[in-house]
Amino acid sequence: MVLNGGTDVVIQLRDRLINPEYVVDIKRIPGLDELRFSKEEGLHIGACVNMNRLGGDENVRTYYPFLANAALSVGSKQVRNRATCAGNLINASPLADTSTPLLCLEAVLEVEGPDGKREIPINEFFVFVRKTTLQKDEIVTGIRVPYYEGAEGIFTKVSRRNKVDLSTVCSTVMKYAGQYRAAFGSVAPTPRRLPKTEACLNEGPLDDARIDRAVELALSEVSPIDDVRASKQYRLDVVAMALRRGLESLG
Amino acid sequence: MKYHVHFYVNGDAYDLDVPANKTMLDVLRDDLFLTGTKEGCGAGECGACTVIVDDVPLNACLVLAPELDGVHITTVEGLSDGPKLSPLQQSFIKHGALQCGFCTPGFLMSATALLNENPHPTREEIIDSISGNLCRCTGYKRIVEAIEEIAARGQTAETQE
Amino acid sequence: MKYVGQSIERVDAIRKVTGQAQYVGDFHMPRMLYAQVKRSPYPHAKIISIDVSKAEKLPGVRAVITGECYTKRCGLYLEDKNFLANKTVKYQGEAVAAVAAETAEIAQEACDLIEVVYEELPAVTNAIDGMKPDAPLIHPDLHTYKVAPIFFPKPHTNISHHYKLRKGDVDKAFQECDYVAEHTYYIPHVQHVPLEPHVAIAQYEYDGKLTVWASTQSPYAVRQALSVAFEIPLNKLRVISPYVGGGFGSKAGTTIEGIIIPLAMRCKGRPVKLQYSREDEFQNSYVRQGLHCKIKTGVKKDGRIHAVKNEFVWDGGAYTEYGVNIVKAGGFASAGPYNIDNVWTDSYCVYTNHPVGGPYRGFGMCEIHFAIEQNIDIVAKEIGMDPVEMRRINGLRVGDKTCMGETMVVSGYHECLEEVIKDIGYGEKSESTNPRKVRGKGIAAGWKSPSMPTNAGSAAIIRMNEDGTFFLMTSGQEIGQGSDTALTQIAAETLDVDPKLITIRTGDTDHTPYEWQTVASRTTYCAGNAVKLACEDLKKKILELAQIKLGAYKRDLEFKDGYVVHKIYTDRKVPLSEFALGLAFDDGSGVGGPAIGVGTFTLENNINYDKETGIGEHPVAFWTIGVNGAEVEVDLDTGEVKVLRMVSCFDAGKVINPETFCAQSEGAMVQAMGTALFEELILKNGHILNKNFVDYKIPTADDMPELDVKYIEHAEPTGPYGARGVGEPLMVPGAPAIANAIYDAIGVRFNRMPITAEEVLKALKEKANK
Repeated sequence: MVLNGGTDVVIQLRDRLINPEYVVDIKRIPGLDELRFSKEEGLHIGACVNMNRLGGDENVRTYYPFLANAALSVGSKQVRNRATCAGNLINASPLADTSTPLLCLEAVLEVEGPDGKREIPINEFFVFVRKTTLQKDEIVTGIRVPYYEGAEGIFTKVSRRNKVDLSTVCSTVMKYAGQYRAAFGSVAPTPRRLPKTEACLNEGPLDDARIDRAVELALSEVSPIDDVRASKQYRLDVVAMALRRGLESLG
Repeated sequence: MKYHVHFYVNGDAYDLDVPANKTMLDVLRDDLFLTGTKEGCGAGECGACTVIVDDVPLNACLVLAPELDGVHITTVEGLSDGPKLSPLQQSFIKHGALQCGFCTPGFLMSATALLNENPHPTREEIIDSISGNLCRCTGYKRIVEAIEEIAARGQTAETQE
Repeated sequence: MKYVGQSIERVDAIRKVTGQAQYVGDFHMPRMLYAQVKRSPYPHAKIISIDVSKAEKLPGVRAVITGECYTKRCGLYLEDKNFLANKTVKYQGEAVAAVAAETAEIAQEACDLIEVVYEELPAVTNAIDGMKPDAPLIHPDLHTYKVAPIFFPKPHTNISHHYKLRKGDVDKAFQECDYVAEHTYYIPHVQHVPLEPHVAIAQYEYDGKLTVWASTQSPYAVRQALSVAFEIPLNKLRVISPYVGGGFGSKAGTTIEGIIIPLAMRCKGRPVKLQYSREDEFQNSYVRQGLHCKIKTGVKKDGRIHAVKNEFVWDGGAYTEYGVNIVKAGGFASAGPYNIDNVWTDSYCVYTNHPVGGPYRGFGMCEIHFAIEQNIDIVAKEIGMDPVEMRRINGLRVGDKTCMGETMVVSGYHECLEEVIKDIGYGEKSESTNPRKVRGKGIAAGWKSPSMPTNAGSAAIIRMNEDGTFFLMTSGQEIGQGSDTALTQIAAETLDVDPKLITIRTGDTDHTPYEWQTVASRTTYCAGNAVKLACEDLKKKILELAQIKLGAYKRDLEFKDGYVVHKIYTDRKVPLSEFALGLAFDDGSGVGGPAIGVGTFTLENNINYDKETGIGEHPVAFWTIGVNGAEVEVDLDTGEVKVLRMVSCFDAGKVINPETFCAQSEGAMVQAMGTALFEELILKNGHILNKNFVDYKIPTADDMPELDVKYIEHAEPTGPYGARGVGEPLMVPGAPAIANAIYDAIGVRFNRMPITAEEVLKALKEKANK
């Protein structure tokens, strides 16, 4: 069992949901806490970079503001000092807050294991609730995020309480070079992009009719459930609202 | 299995052998008897166990004991300098920012960490910094006001010489 | 007044900001053992067998107990409770066995090794269903239970109490009304969420002495219940309650203590500690009962409420030893603070296979007022009247009779109402800058009396030290509300000494004198009266001696700034300290002995109401009345409600400490807001789905609205310096004020709490589709 920020692992230990023989803390491995950006290489988020550092970083705030907002929407300040972006993805919760901006940004997970290094594009990473394509003996060492000149995005999080809550629904709508991308969390077993919705949006100019059609398609592409946090219907309503608001403000 | 850790709490050095399945909170409370740091949920949701670790506020219940090695921790017991209370502690008293007192150490630590990092936080920054601390008694108003007074003065929260 | 009415610093403040205040969980004792509890996975099941043999063999285990070890039932008003399940489990999470071991981990492992075979029984998961004749019986032996004479269980049903209020002739009155309407409401279970979960330590000595350190509001009531359950004489049972990390009612009565005592009795000499987790706190302490509420209201053209008929069905949970009294309180206050001639109320306490209902700040009032105060708004709108006008017409005035038939001797209703109307700017629309957000304002009133036994008692002792400092001893419990400070101020005022010279000691049944319980918003009033009487007793004794010393009649002497001073010749004075050990004479002799004052208080002529009608001349100590206003902003796209502002005005009688009063008012409003918008213990088939902070949300600092607190002071004739209790009443009008504000914003009524974003959005869609 790998220990990074520990905000999930320690609770699972406490609740006796896991009983690992060993817990390996990776936080002091040199280099894993690196956070660097250049327009040529994009953003590199080391596996041990926590949410406050990611969300507060000048480059992230300038070039990926919606990713910064997503990072800062996670938990409390105390939790964000521990929780990492890599951990947020590896945990593979359907409602991982940083997953939707990274899906839109087509981030790549850098993975290392006994067979050496490999890369997993984020849209091939999530398999199911708490299941990823990461192998048992592999760890994520970092996340690479391409740089998109002039990209804009809107991160939306709807939760029961404004601060320190899990997303009832989270989403990112992004516009780059006139093309739209949309990803949603907590509406399916994994966070996901909405390809049909995006195709519709990218077919022609954004007018009211197109937004209406995109919303309709989005609702067909998600499959939320009723749970203790919200009903399926409310989640569908929020998906429609978040997409609409996102598109309206991106224009 | 136990791990040897060397760490500092409120400036004092400690050497301990700690089991891997204990948390920093357990060590502080049960081994060092620093019981000012409270446990309200054990799941990082209430902030009662907030301590400052290497300048940042953390939930001590979410840190495993072996991770203590090499860290510097400040707990509520380290805020006052003998009988002299820190400006923030004094401000909490002046504003009546406490009732049952169980959450108070956690709020003091969150706010102290904020003021050390940023002596003039805005109200929004204050609220963001204490949203991970739950209080059921006060309704928060006086806590925010107590922190705002120190923020307006621009003093750091800890005791000044 | 010099000290009463002043905002002196809290006497516990320094300890609490330095982390030095000790709570039970902070106690570490030599050779301490740790307990864990084996709990039922089923809401209702027969226990076929319990095999503890594997657990007992685990190294480090010192004792294992099951419900069979102690079968004696106990309870505050109705003896229906076992601390460990006996023969059947009645709610999910009920304790079936417990272990004491060298570490908490070993105790947990031992619990896992206990094998329990159950036969699941059909469960009652809705109080209305529980009342039906064919409902499964949760307490088939109810008819044999010992019960206080003011409660009326119905044998061979799930109804553990039926409270009746019958004033006037309701049927005839409805016929005389111009408008009659009936509305229903539902208030779900919520939890108190003190930041400190329950914790207790018990130690049993070889000589039969049992000491319990407990996070409790009521050391004496705990002592009494435990004495009954475990047949320990009261002089051998000591309950110590240090600082308590919030109670809100959850730490009244007994919960956790009954589990560790039998363990401690088996591990003589060794302290046994049981610490609840947050999950335990949600499931196994107390919860606020759910309420199904039906109100039929009849009004005349002029807006006078002429008749009300209420049916309250309370979801009492598995045990209602305490809950029956909430049902009674909700019943006798059921008309709200209004002058209504004809009132009929049936209030039922119903057993369900839900977590145990118990006292929660407001003691039924928050629940019934969510209905009463929305109902006023609804009925007013239906007859085309401004709800505020309807409140003006019907609000209780001095001389009016309450629904229980007693005459109001004080009422600040109308002044509080006008104050809040002005402060919130009622009737003035404010607009959001965001066109997709709309705003609204609402008002609600509330009242509450202490629902305590009519003869509930309080005692206090004041001792003077040789240097003129004092120890004040009571068992009023500081739970955050500021009672230590308020009681110190009352003593300081009575003795005319600086409060800094008085140290208050509480919470030790071997050493601090009797106090029934710290509940019912009664501490400032009852314990305060006892403190005042104790100080007057001390004064009287010292003045006897002072007249010898000063050669003056005692009628000419007074206490002033730590001296006994002649009223006319003010330079003739003696420091109080000279009387600390009595009066000494020049020849070496002395009289009087050490200075100590004793005060005891029971409210006189406080008489039970009539059993059949609920009517009485003086059935409660006092009524505290107040009003809240709220302004909200509703997001039409997400349904999110943001409370922008809340305003409170109460008639406090006399505010002992304005700062702590305001602080309690603020906390009460935010707690009320939590229940109005977020909080619900989600129960499905008897299982709690959200027993943690991940899914049970209470407000954070970010949710806090702008808060404004006012008060008026119409002295309570029997209160110390005119004070009456406020801690609970302050929370009562908050939730309905918010509900009324939401209606004002979007024109939708919510007859159920919490009013979540999801509920609001659903209602907005339904409204749009109409």
